[in-house]
Amino acid sequence: MRETPLSNCERDFLLKSIEAKKRLDGRQTYDYRNIKITFGTDYGCCTVCLGKTRVLAQVSCELVPPKDARPTEGLMFFNLELSPMASPGFQSNRQSELLVTLNRQLERCLRNSRCIDTESLCVISGEKVWQIRVDVHVLNHDGNLMDAASVAAISALSHFKRPEVAIQGRDVTVFSPEERDPVPLSVYHMPICVSFAFFQQGTYLLVDPCEKEEQVMDGLLVIAMNKHREICFIQSSGGIMLLKDQVLRCSKIASVKVSEITELISKALENDKRVRKEGGKFGFAESVAKERITVLTREEAPLEMTDVQATADEIISKADAPPEVVPSPVIVATGTGQVGEGLQSTWGLEDDDDEEEEMSDLTEREKKKDEVMVISDSEEEEVVILNQAGQSKCS
Amino acid sequence: MAGLELLSDQGYRLDGRKATELRKLQARMGVFGQADGSAYMEQGNTKALAVVYGPHEVRGSRSKSLHDRAVINCQYSMATFSTAERKRRPHGDRKSSEMSLHLKQTFEAAVLTQLYPRSQIDIYVKILQSDGGNYSACVNAATLALVDAGIPMRDYVCACTAGFVEDTPLADLCHAEESGGGTTLSLALLPRSESIALVQMDARLHQDHLPALMEAATVACKGLSKVLDDVVRQHLQEVSVQTRE
Amino acid sequence: MAVDMRLPARKQAFLPAIHSSSDGKHLVVPGDVITSDTGFMRGHGTYMDDEKLTASVAGEVERVNKLICVRPLKTRFNGEVGDVVVGRITEVQQKRWKVGTNSRLDSVLLLSSVNLPGGELRRRSAEDELTMRDYLQEGDLISAEVQSVFSDGALSLHTRSLKYGKLGQGVLVQVSPSLIKRQKTHFHNLTCGASIILGNNGYVWIYPTPGHQDEEAGGYYTSLEPVPLSDREIISRLRNCLLALAAHKVMLYDTSILYCYESSLTHQIKDILKPEIVDEIVMETHQRLLDQEG
Repeated sequence: MRETPLSNCERDFLLKSIEAKKRLDGRQTYDYRNIKITFGTDYGCCTVCLGKTRVLAQVSCELVPPKDARPTEGLMFFNLELSPMASPGFQSNRQSELLVTLNRQLERCLRNSRCIDTESLCVISGEKVWQIRVDVHVLNHDGNLMDAASVAAISALSHFKRPEVAIQGRDVTVFSPEERDPVPLSVYHMPICVSFAFFQQGTYLLVDPCEKEEQVMDGLLVIAMNKHREICFIQSSGGIMLLKDQVLRCSKIASVKVSEITELISKALENDKRVRKEGGKFGFAESVAKERITVLTREEAPLEMTDVQATADEIISKADAPPEVVPSPVIVATGTGQVGEGLQSTWGLEDDDDEEEEMSDLTEREKKKDEVMVISDSEEEEVVILNQAGQSKCS
Repeated sequence: MAGLELLSDQGYRLDGRKATELRKLQARMGVFGQADGSAYMEQGNTKALAVVYGPHEVRGSRSKSLHDRAVINCQYSMATFSTAERKRRPHGDRKSSEMSLHLKQTFEAAVLTQLYPRSQIDIYVKILQSDGGNYSACVNAATLALVDAGIPMRDYVCACTAGFVEDTPLADLCHAEESGGGTTLSLALLPRSESIALVQMDARLHQDHLPALMEAATVACKGLSKVLDDVVRQHLQEVSVQTRE
Repeated sequence: MAVDMRLPARKQAFLPAIHSSSDGKHLVVPGDVITSDTGFMRGHGTYMDDEKLTASVAGEVERVNKLICVRPLKTRFNGEVGDVVVGRITEVQQKRWKVGTNSRLDSVLLLSSVNLPGGELRRRSAEDELTMRDYLQEGDLISAEVQSVFSDGALSLHTRSLKYGKLGQGVLVQVSPSLIKRQKTHFHNLTCGASIILGNNGYVWIYPTPGHQDEEAGGYYTSLEPVPLSDREIISRLRNCLLALAAHKVMLYDTSILYCYESSLTHQIKDILKPEIVDEIVMETHQRLLDQEG
């Protein structure tokens, strides 16, 4: 299915609100959405919810012969899939630009930055090494897939435990998890991607764009960092022109965000470890909130409540007195009423004469405020009104 | 790569250059007679060929045309003989697609596409010999080809790579320096306004080194733009003399 | 059979810089600031960058009173009303044909802008729409004139004159549009024995001078009689001369083509394509043109 384009009024609305430093969901410009990380029952399975964006990552391993150029290093393979489940605009067989971009960025973020110790994946040098495969599936697309995918991938890698091996000469015995405890991977550092969306030729920027904001943005800058303030990769995309200070500023913002997210990941990993040790229930089933009718829980939105009375009083006292106009319904045709004003019609096909007439009519009518105005252009001969008495009248 | 020092004590690199020295740059415009614009570019040992067709009517699906702008269509490919080992590169593979996408985005920022609604501009770039800085060579060659084709642009787009070794930024990396495991920053810049059309960096770098690295890349791009400028002006002189009548 | 091979060598621009009043020319490259004076109007090839008039293409600055524009050296054909073009039909659509004319959008030839057999004032019926392909198919070459220009730059052509229409037997040469000189008429019957149509879009059509067949044309009758060898030799010689002139960027018009033809008579037709002989011929042509001017 083709992706539905964003309507022009939505686009204008979004751009205007961004200029006024407001976002659709009430966040500030540098705020992330709520990140929830849950692990599955198997080691290496992780789901990340970034607001409504949902991404699942699964790590698996197998023994393969290594590359000729590097006989002592293990292999890593990354794959990201966009299925139509995530968004009707995704088509499963086509290599879309987004798919290529996300895959390459994920690869570069995790492979080139050497977050995993690949030497430790070697079993027999030159013959058998572990190949770690990370599969990321996008379950729901609500913007900012890159960040969610990178968090999911690195969490899954940190969570994963590979089977223990014993080497006797040239024989390799792989122990199943029941026989011997699996061994975790050695993760040097956790690179996390932070996405910045630019609007109006780089004048405004937002962190963590949601889907609507992504459709309106001019370009995207992705910076991957770890908590040691090392930049793992930078990529700018979209046809925007940036200035050097903007890039430097973004990197500073990214370092703050990354440390927060890294803490979240470590906490989630700890939680999971604790729950498994205690023998409690863990896995996805526990993470999905039960939505029963009898459960009246709702997500709470944090609101700034300090001094709310004082601020409200202040605003009221400073504001002008509200206008005395009592809204009087304008009846455009008999049987209908109109209160308030809609926007000026932008179709602009009316003649000037009609407009003048209407204007003069309106000014006359404004004098009689309390009366109900009837502007009837109706061409219908008979209009039936059902009045309160229940009788039908013909006009 | 163990044992090869990327930067010696006296400040010389593997090929004898100083830290901020660029490789030798040679370029030729108007290489192909039949294309609207073409250019050949050598940056050290990296050789790139760029060809531009357009603007012309959108071929293929009519739905791809934009009502208010021209569509830029880029294709990046490497010749099978371009690397040390012959490697057959299928056209649709991820790395080529990614490069093509980056090139397209770079030029969408620089070309004044609003002047050509419902048209298409094709840019084809091929790497004939790869010795580091593939993306930069492509961008530079494509800029010259666009100038040759008479397609209006805001400014030249110059690209260069920069790396970081032992607290010294290096400009214009060759293949050995790129694959040595250090940082590589590719920057595509419009020199006069210093606006960045594309920035791309791989491998770890501490945040504090980023300003110095970007500065080095910016300076390198500006130097490159001077060379490109000379090439274009010389070509202009030659061709305009001939069309006098 | 011996094959002629040579190594690539840099072409030397030998045309004497008699016009080395080229120092007077103001050459700019994209990004150059032309002027910061706000009194000028902005023409093609420029854009406003912060109050400064900046060039967006590489070429020569042309100033007409208050209008500044930059003319690029090479560009696709930008048509104007009244230009004669030679084009190829690329598509047959409802009530119109799309014609490829080496411009940035395909040109349009409306069904109402062609001469249908049976007189000019006939009303276009539904039947005419269905039989459009009988008149012009994809791949046919036509000569036409630009009637108007659409707002996005596409040209609207017409063939409402007996001299325009479908082209029959002949040779097409494609050169850059900037090499065709604007003249009063673009249809020439050269004294050497062939006829030529110099389309403003860079497409040049060389064909044998039609004998004594007149009106029958109106454009859709293609004579398929075999063309005699002598005519064909003249046509191929002309074609090679055109390519030679185009390679040295000499303006093309009937006089220059004729001079070039005459200079080439001493050589064999196929030799004209060799670089040395091209240089020689073009040099002679250039000389004669200068003598004629001065």
